[in-house]
Parts: sequence; structure tokens; C-alpha cells
Amino acid sequence: MIDEGMQEQAAAYALGALNAAEIGAFEVALRVDPELRALVSELRSVTEALAGTAPALEPPAAVKERLLLEIDQRGGSGSKRTPDQPPRRPVSGPFGAAVSEPVGGPAGRPARAWIPWAVAAAMAVLSVAFLWQSSSLRSQLAAQAGRINELTTSAELAHAESAELRLTVAKLRESNHLASFRIALLDSLLAAAPTAIAVSVWDNERQDGVFIVRNLKPLPSDKDYQLWIIDPKYPSPVDAGVFQVNAKGDVREDFRAKLPIQTANQFAVTIERKGGAEVPNTKAMVLAGS
Amino acid sequence: MMADADRTVAEQNQDAVLIERIRGGERAAFVAFYDRYSPLLFSVAARILGERKEAEDVLQEVMLVIWNKSGDYDPQLGTLSSWAVSVTRNKALDRLRARTRRLRLIEEAAILAEDSDATSYPSANEIVHGRERAELLRDAMKELPADQRMAIELAFFTGLSQSDIATRLQQPLGTIKARIRRGMLRLREQLGGAL
Repeated sequence: MIDEGMQEQAAAYALGALNAAEIGAFEVALRVDPELRALVSELRSVTEALAGTAPALEPPAAVKERLLLEIDQRGGSGSKRTPDQPPRRPVSGPFGAAVSEPVGGPAGRPARAWIPWAVAAAMAVLSVAFLWQSSSLRSQLAAQAGRINELTTSAELAHAESAELRLTVAKLRESNHLASFRIALLDSLLAAAPTAIAVSVWDNERQDGVFIVRNLKPLPSDKDYQLWIIDPKYPSPVDAGVFQVNAKGDVREDFRAKLPIQTANQFAVTIERKGGAEVPNTKAMVLAGS
Repeated sequence: MMADADRTVAEQNQDAVLIERIRGGERAAFVAFYDRYSPLLFSVAARILGERKEAEDVLQEVMLVIWNKSGDYDPQLGTLSSWAVSVTRNKALDRLRARTRRLRLIEEAAILAEDSDATSYPSANEIVHGRERAELLRDAMKELPADQRMAIELAFFTGLSQSDIATRLQQPLGTIKARIRRGMLRLREQLGGAL
């Protein structure tokens, strides 16, 4: 008979909710108790059923192609290790079971497949660099980083709990598209408005999104806030429309990009002249995030 | 229910054969495993990470674990597919933790916002196990008390510890542990032969 305390641990173990110390202690008991092993086995099947409640998605065919190319290049199954393979180090495994990976990094992509990834990463860095090229902004950011982090922590908590965000996310879930969404939180870059914050939810399939802003200062009538999407595909940020906030500094806007978006890496908001600009005024950037 | 049980046993037998063939380095067996389980594993990774691109990377990493480290799988502690789901969850959560804590809050908010009726979409279970069994699994989840389901989903999909969940839901740790235990045991009973 397994007591309630051990049942609690077994349930949490099967879910992956025990910490490292608890896993170690539990696995000692697991080794010597066949009844407990049987319970864990059944609870793992429950966990698998739970996992299967995720909205169904088919992986792109390219993943399978990359994978098969990789195993073809490597040869036979690595579970039968050959002497020329590197030594392996243990990493956190499923349900506490040790899984080893080659020293020097996890199993990677095909030998030359890093090139497009490296290019993409470089493009992403360039895009960020483009946005943050203003040295005065960088120094301002550095000076305020600690304060922004501190303030945004409390703002985020409040924001995540806001009824509007919950309703928005619930609505997205009902339409079964959340898994394909890019969700970004944009932090304030303004010393005068450190609690300003925004969430962008972008649906790459539909090429549209929802933008929610809190605590942003209302602008004079000859100015607009302008949302930008940073996509490595383009040398400059892509215009995603202008908006105004209400007297409280809040707004919720549906938005679309002016160009087809391939990868929405980052989002930023600048202050521009009424109607918006062709390219962002990086010195007037007020929110940014990924 | 008996048909479900028979089919489950047949699936497990097929998986036992598959893993042996994969351990033997048989490429065709690996492809069969991929074709059978990649939608489930991809869906789980996408559900945890909230985006497809990273989920693709996770799927590739997990499949390489299946290919290279299938010797680590212990059949005494669960089925091959539950092991693969666990590897997927761990790798997806590793990536999630590498992101800012802020995005994780959004993910948690998504779960907290999800009500019991928001399950009208086709689930990964439907692809892997067929519609009938998927509906059984879905009904079992829906019949679970909301507080138990929320605690279980937060633990699995966000990787929060039981202590974190207790803090987030402003409940005593013992309450959260009891909810998870009761919920998991209840699901086990309800799913019965379908597991």
C-alpha cells in the first residue's frame, strides 16, 4: 500500500514537478519498490494523455528531412556508442532518467546546416543593432536597466493578471491558434514612464496581431505612436501602423504589417509625426521587446 | 473501453518492437516512430513554447535523443511514448527558462485564462490515438475539478514547481500537492484501459 505522501511524490514525479533533490530521494524509493514503479508507470501514461490535449499541430516536412539527413551523416543509432564518438555528459532527463549528450553541446543539426541559422542570427543581431544604434539611448538604457527591471517586474505581474489579457489569450485559445502565435512583452525605455508596458500577440499565419498597451503617456495631437516589427528578412523595421492611447495611457489595437512578415523577431514602438513615418526614429523609441 | 484497452496493448507492443529496432540502428523503424509520434511531440513543444519555430528545434533534438540514446529508456517506468513526451517537455522547458521570466508569465496567464469549454479544437491525442480515444481523454480532463486541472496543467506545461504553483495561486503548498495527487489519480481511474 502506497501512502498519500508517496502518492503525492509519484504524481509530481510523473508530471516533472519535483525539484532535483526531491527527484533523487524519490528515485531511491522507486528502485526498491515495484508497486511504486507500477504506479509511476501508470501516472506517466496519464501525463502523456495530458500532453496530448495540446492543440494538434503537424511539424513541417523540413524537420523530418533535416533529421534524416543528420542521422544518415552520423551513421547508425548512437545508443550503440562507437569509440570515435565523444564522451557524453549526463543532463536532466525525463522523469529523472539520465539522458546523456555529447560534451561540447547538444546534438546539433546537419554539418553545414548551421550556415542559414548563423545568417539568421546575424541578421537578427543587425536588426537589434539598427534599433539600438543610438549611443545615447544605450547609455540611458544601461543606467536605468536595474530600475526598469525592478519596476517592470511588478508591472508584469499586474499585467499578466489583467482581465483584458486573460480574455485576449482565452479568445486566441478558443480559435486554436495560440501555438502559432508570437507573444512578446515590450518594456518601457522611458525614464519618465518606467511602468509603461505592452504585449504584442502576432499570428504569422494570418499576418495580423493584437497589441495591448498600458501606462504610456498620451501624445499631443500632431504626434502618433508607431509600432514596428523587426523581421530579419528586411534591412529595416516593418511599419505595423500608428496608434494613440487613451487618457489613462492604455489602448488595445488590432494591427497588420505593411510588408509580409516571415519572422517577427522583435517589436518596438516609436513616437513619430502624425500618420507615421517610413523608417523609425530610433531616438524616439519608447517601447521594445521580444 | 475494451476496444480501447486492446488497441492500447497493441500500440505498446508495436512500440516495444520499434524501440528494439531503433536500438539496432534500423532507420526505417526510426522513420516509423517519427511518423507516429512527431505530431504529438511537436504539439507539446509548441504548447509549452507558444511558437512553432522553436518547437521545430525541440522536435529535432528530441528525435535525435530517441535515435542516439534509446538505451536510456526504461520500459519499467512507462511507455516509449510517455518517455518521448517527457524528453520533449524537458527540452521545451529548458528553452522556456532561457527566455525572460516575463514571457513565462504570459504562458501562465494563458493557462489560467483557459476555461473548461475551450477544448473544441482537435487535440494531438486525436492524431496519435484516433478520435474515439481522444474524446475519452478530453472528457476525463473536462470532468476533473477546475482547481485540480489547473494545478496539473501549470505543473506540466509551464514547469512550475509545486511551491511556485502554490505561490501563484495563493494556496498552501499542501493544498497544491493534494490537488495534483487527487487529480492525477482520478485521471488514472477515469482513463483506465485507455492508457
